[in-house]
Amino acid sequence: MDADSQFVLQYMTEIEEAAEDVLTTKQQILDLNIKRNTNREALNALKTAVCDSEKVQVCFGNMFIKLPTSKTKEILKRDQEQLDMQINDLRKGLKAKVNHVYEMQGKPELRGYNLCPLTSDEVMAINSILKG
Amino acid sequence: MATTKVPEVRDIMRIERIGAHSHIRGLGLDDALEPRQVSQGMVGQLASRRAAGVVLEMIKDGQIAGRAVLIAGQPGTGKTAIAMGIAQSLGPDTPFTAMASSEIYSLEMSKTEALSQAFRKAIGVRIKEETEIIEGEVVEIQIDRPATGTGAKVGKLTLKTTEMETIYDLGNKMIDSLSKEKVQAGDVITIDKATGKISKLGRSFTRARDYDAMGAQTQFVQCPEGELQKRKEVVHTVSLHEIDVINSRTQGFLALFSGDTGEIKSEVREQINAKVCEWREEGKAEIIPGVLFIDEVHMLDMECFSFLNRALESDLSPVLIMATNRGITRIRGTNYQSPHGIPIDLLDRLLIITTSPYTEKETRQVLKIRCEEEDVELSEEAHTVLTRIGMETSLRYAIQLISTAGLVCRKRKGTEVQVDDIKRVYSLFLDEARSSQYMKEYQDSFLFNETQTSAMDVS
Repeated sequence: MDADSQFVLQYMTEIEEAAEDVLTTKQQILDLNIKRNTNREALNALKTAVCDSEKVQVCFGNMFIKLPTSKTKEILKRDQEQLDMQINDLRKGLKAKVNHVYEMQGKPELRGYNLCPLTSDEVMAINSILKG
Repeated sequence: MATTKVPEVRDIMRIERIGAHSHIRGLGLDDALEPRQVSQGMVGQLASRRAAGVVLEMIKDGQIAGRAVLIAGQPGTGKTAIAMGIAQSLGPDTPFTAMASSEIYSLEMSKTEALSQAFRKAIGVRIKEETEIIEGEVVEIQIDRPATGTGAKVGKLTLKTTEMETIYDLGNKMIDSLSKEKVQAGDVITIDKATGKISKLGRSFTRARDYDAMGAQTQFVQCPEGELQKRKEVVHTVSLHEIDVINSRTQGFLALFSGDTGEIKSEVREQINAKVCEWREEGKAEIIPGVLFIDEVHMLDMECFSFLNRALESDLSPVLIMATNRGITRIRGTNYQSPHGIPIDLLDRLLIITTSPYTEKETRQVLKIRCEEEDVELSEEAHTVLTRIGMETSLRYAIQLISTAGLVCRKRKGTEVQVDDIKRVYSLFLDEARSSQYMKEYQDSFLFNETQTSAMDVS
């Protein structure tokens, strides 16, 4: 292969890799989100259905373990916090990755992409323009 | 000339009325900024179009904020067309405000107020709104009402996307707003996490066959993809003037729509400036200097010119494009003569682009484009005659004749405008030169006739 096609091939590979990276991150966020929602369901169920003194069966991997309710709640809550943090981090990273793909394809950067969002008060104040 | 016709798709709504410059779709430059002879509704004026292209690129890069450009040239040489071309090529995201100088002479607000409003309309502020939403298709809603009729209701809402499904426990408030929105299984809804506001996007396609008869307003949407909890970011562009209006307390936000805003206090403006600068420093806002186009700029007076001088130096200043068709003339409000009727000190700050009269071939092209725009078929001879008229009288007059001749042609149920139609409207409507000639001949029979009056003072 001559140098030109070599270059093109390498370029395409790089873009594909970057795009693949974006897709994996998206999938990861999705998976974490599913987990977060099942945890939330579990917490709700514990709050309403079971009284505190009983023990509940918790499934870890492929094994059921009996744990006190309060302990289970604590584990779940910690897990939720962890998940929230991970999702936030991934979302932040996703932006940079998408930008990278755009840059490699020679597309202009998305407008206003790097702006910090207004606070809800400020949005409220300015809402009448935005809706009009 | 062999031209391949590219069919241009246009909105039906937009061709209902045809303006003088509605055929302009850009500056007609290629990627290297070289002007094409005929492109995007532009004909000829190669040098000025190229110059405008350079200015355009600088505006796009945000490099010449607070500068001013003057387009000077004889009447009917395409000054406004070039400004429109710049506006079209800037795209919808860059604010472009066009005004005629005479607009500032209003009884309701001072001249400088009108100018500052125009300036601030031409500056955009880009901001971002971020909302956490839950978006999904309703699988099931289950609401338990207590047997006694009073007391807390409890419920469960099952939502899904193509990838996941989950159950939410509902409180009293959510149940109320869900039943208020008449949400049922099969609807695609979003819930704003911060405010709890529920909005229906439509019904899912998979449920399209649930009922045989459905209202016309029922909209079908795809089941959403991805995760249920999404973060939505929306970028808005608003103009500084709009923020001013919202915040000038006496008006309230309705003023924005009536168009009658009255004067805005300078304190309000200063507060807004400070706030916007604060946002910019916090990374919450981007300032987009837009373009303010002032047509017939010689109609401004001395006060306005010195205001412009000052306003251009402000750091929140748009690119100012002015157009004039005057030569050396009196500056309005003074007795001084100056080129273009603009004071020398302001002229010194301007980049000046000149336009030159169209050649015969170019006139022919412009007329052809206008015919297409106005949906008038012109025979070859009629086109030649019209070009002659355009050269000898003025381009504008020739353009006027297109639509009138088109009407005459339709009256006699013809499909193509012939020379006779042109002749007919040429005899019906006078051009400027013939009209003046007529005036001179029959001056004595008009009322209030003063034979001494020389040329009318128009400045």
